[in-house]
Amino acid sequence: MFQVISGRSIQVARLLAPRSAVLVEAVRGRKSRTDPVAKSKEGRIKVPPPVDPVEMVVLKERYTEYQLMMRALRLEFKEEVLRKKYEEETGSLAEERARQEAEEHRALMAFNNQENLRMLKLRILRIQKEKEEAERKQVEAAIQREQEQQESIKEKERDILKLQEEAKNFITLENLDQRIEEALDNPKNYNFAIDKEGRVVKQTMLQ
Amino acid sequence: MPRYELALILKAMQRPGTSAALRRTVETLMERGAVVRDLENLGERLLPYTITKHNQRHNKGAYFLVDFYAAPNILTGLLDHLHRDVDVVRPTVLKKDAQVSTLKCHEHAQQNKMSS
Repeated sequence: MFQVISGRSIQVARLLAPRSAVLVEAVRGRKSRTDPVAKSKEGRIKVPPPVDPVEMVVLKERYTEYQLMMRALRLEFKEEVLRKKYEEETGSLAEERARQEAEEHRALMAFNNQENLRMLKLRILRIQKEKEEAERKQVEAAIQREQEQQESIKEKERDILKLQEEAKNFITLENLDQRIEEALDNPKNYNFAIDKEGRVVKQTMLQ
Repeated sequence: MPRYELALILKAMQRPGTSAALRRTVETLMERGAVVRDLENLGERLLPYTITKHNQRHNKGAYFLVDFYAAPNILTGLLDHLHRDVDVVRPTVLKKDAQVSTLKCHEHAQQNKMSS
């Protein structure tokens, strides 16, 4: 007969606003609307429980008093909470605190700015030094390169002179016969023998 | 100009023949625009194996070394010419590397350590 409400009949339950822990509703259980009344319930007239008027009046008075008191208490408590909140936000202490916060904030910002300035100065100095270093290094590198170039030029000049000297000994059409005779007279031997101690023996047998 | 070395193996001949062959070779070189630097004789030696060239088998050969400066484009022509010469047993042209430094290895290592 009575069924626990779940899901679909939530609206009905809210209308009835029950005070019990579990939401209960009168619901047709096993029998449908069109089924005939049970034989044992044929002449049944549903009678609500009897009410005693005196008791009713007394109860009503007590209940109104009681509810009044409860409502008052509840509102009191609510008001206290709201007041506390209001105090928190716009009370004198709150102003003090806000002022102190602002002071602190200002002090910290000032400190931060100071630090920034200091770091800026240091940074500028450092960058300056680095730039100077780089410049110096560049200049040095340029000088080095110049020197190396000069060195190489000198080297090449020396090579040229050496070659010029050697050119005097080259074979020409006039020298040719003489040189051929010379070569045929002096056979050269490039063979040599060496042992583990490093002693070199240049004189070998020419076949 | 790059520097080349002609390792020439001539037929084992008498002196006038060898000298004529050498003269011919050097003149060919000079015709093709080479500058002959030096001519060395490595002696008449036994060849390491019998070489057959121009329908002749050779056991002995006269080794000569000609270093010269030349342009690279003449080399194929030169070798061609030398292969056709009857007195030449084997011509070989090699490039001459730059001189290895005459410092001994130990000194070289020390020099490197000091400079680095």
